[in-house]
Amino acid sequence: MTLRNRELVNLFVVAVITGLGFASVYIARQEVVSTASLSYALFFFGLYVAAHAVARLTVPHADPYLLPLTGLLTAFGVTEIYRLDPDNAFRQGLWIVVGVAAFSATLILLRHDFRRLESYKYIFGVTAIGLLILPALPLIGQTVNGARLWVKAGPLQFQPGELAKIFLIVFLAGYLREKREVLAQGRLKDFGPLLAIWGAAMLVLVETNDLGSALLYFGIFLAMLYVATAKPWFAGAGMVLFVAGAAVVYQLVSRVETRVTIWLHPWTDEKVFCAQTGGLALRQECDSYQLVKSLYSIGNGGFGGKGLGKGTFSNSGGDPLIPYLNTDFIYSALAQELGLIGIAALMLVFMLFCLRGFRIALLAQDGFSKLLALGLTFGFALQTFIIVGGVLRVIPLTGITLPFVSYGGSSVVANFILLAGLLLVSNRANATANIPMEGRP
Amino acid sequence: MRLLAVSSVDVDGVLLLLKIGFLGLLYLFIWRIVRTASKDLRLPQESFILAPQQAEAAGLRKRSSPPMGRLVVVKSPVLEVKSEYVLDSAGISIGRGSQNTVALDDDEFASASHARVEPRQDGVWLEDAGSTNGTYLNGVKLSRPRKLTPGDLVRVGETDFRFDR
Repeated sequence: MTLRNRELVNLFVVAVITGLGFASVYIARQEVVSTASLSYALFFFGLYVAAHAVARLTVPHADPYLLPLTGLLTAFGVTEIYRLDPDNAFRQGLWIVVGVAAFSATLILLRHDFRRLESYKYIFGVTAIGLLILPALPLIGQTVNGARLWVKAGPLQFQPGELAKIFLIVFLAGYLREKREVLAQGRLKDFGPLLAIWGAAMLVLVETNDLGSALLYFGIFLAMLYVATAKPWFAGAGMVLFVAGAAVVYQLVSRVETRVTIWLHPWTDEKVFCAQTGGLALRQECDSYQLVKSLYSIGNGGFGGKGLGKGTFSNSGGDPLIPYLNTDFIYSALAQELGLIGIAALMLVFMLFCLRGFRIALLAQDGFSKLLALGLTFGFALQTFIIVGGVLRVIPLTGITLPFVSYGGSSVVANFILLAGLLLVSNRANATANIPMEGRP
Repeated sequence: MRLLAVSSVDVDGVLLLLKIGFLGLLYLFIWRIVRTASKDLRLPQESFILAPQQAEAAGLRKRSSPPMGRLVVVKSPVLEVKSEYVLDSAGISIGRGSQNTVALDDDEFASASHARVEPRQDGVWLEDAGSTNGTYLNGVKLSRPRKLTPGDLVRVGETDFRFDR
């Protein structure tokens, strides 16, 4: 079976799984959900077959599992978003269409040689910084939930940080490939760029009040630096610098301090000051309300889950009890409805995505491709860890999207571009390598 | 639409079946991919890490890498004839501009980033890096990357190189 036929078969399996998921939401909530719900599954299958057709034409040798895995992740997301609010699912569906269009455009534009991106690395670097600064600008910048991550231009509202992540990875792949030998010598004067990027990460942290994004960008940088130079202590020193910087910011920015307090002590026995109401309240009734309720709902899901369409807590008005359930907390909604067994499957799907991505990095032949594939995969993995770790109280919670699953346009579109990048690297690696590939006899 | 007519006990039964189907198929799908991934583990592995010396020290890369080859200048308006550029795992970039391994500074026919010679698993490959005037291998303009064999002549701008082992 050729690689692309294998992809098509996998997409078909994913479509059946999606259909089963939609069907169970439909049956469980037939009083709210219209009969059109099942057409969602068909619509998605059609959309992914279109993406598959573009891949067949542009990247015939690319990995056959990444696209079906993506399909599965978006299906998990849309099913749960649909279950929470059908209108949002419609919008998310539109964003996935835009995402597939961006995916196709990336593949078509770069089908001959994506490595010419390397010549434009500084343009990518500067654009990434520009995008990161955008939300801090007056007029267009928007503060949502105390974090300044949004840009509003007319009716459009987006998070430029998602796209900046990909541009930053392209820049770092080009830059580190060129400078890695100089950096590997470890002379003090060569540490200028490293310190500059650390400074930039700290600035992003202060500017946006968001620990998660700063951790994400800096983590991607450290991973790529380690791969480029093979010096573990670079990554170690970088982490120490980050922790030191974050500790200083913790003292200065009250929001970061609040996040850490919520993480360490979500429950209090006595009433403490509550900034939202201005009075005294138990912390679980105030700052850590969202996190604590989310932990309860994950616990409520138990091993087998409440069943799709039947689980999540809602208030007397019928709205979800947990704010931002379909973005930051979609993990806990899924955990409650699918249980440990279902959410473990979701995490396995994420791991498989990363496994395929790292495999592409291993097989890539030249430095730029290797660094690009590794950076894209690591960024994807770290983002998943930051939000899932935050929801499970492993690390302080920061509002960041669960790739492909959370409700949110910028994230979906950016991650589809990331997927296109991985397929391009994979196509080139598999086409030029003479090693035996799975799928070939 | 007969489903709407069934009693609530039946709905629970149907939901349970759907759930088992959903999870069962999901885990089967995951298992399939894991199985192919475990086949990959038996393939010769490469390291993520790019710097060859350190990787070698860490035992991550096979020690006896064969000599990769070198480029010898045959004719050039800017470089000294017979000077040599030894190929390492990072490859050689050729172009006008100091960021290149081989900098052809006053060669007006060379582009800033002109061509690249790089070792891959199956040999040494020459490829054009999007130059204006093209890269020539044994007098033929390169349209796609080509594998080099010893004795090949590479022309970039007005400079000729010979590829030797």
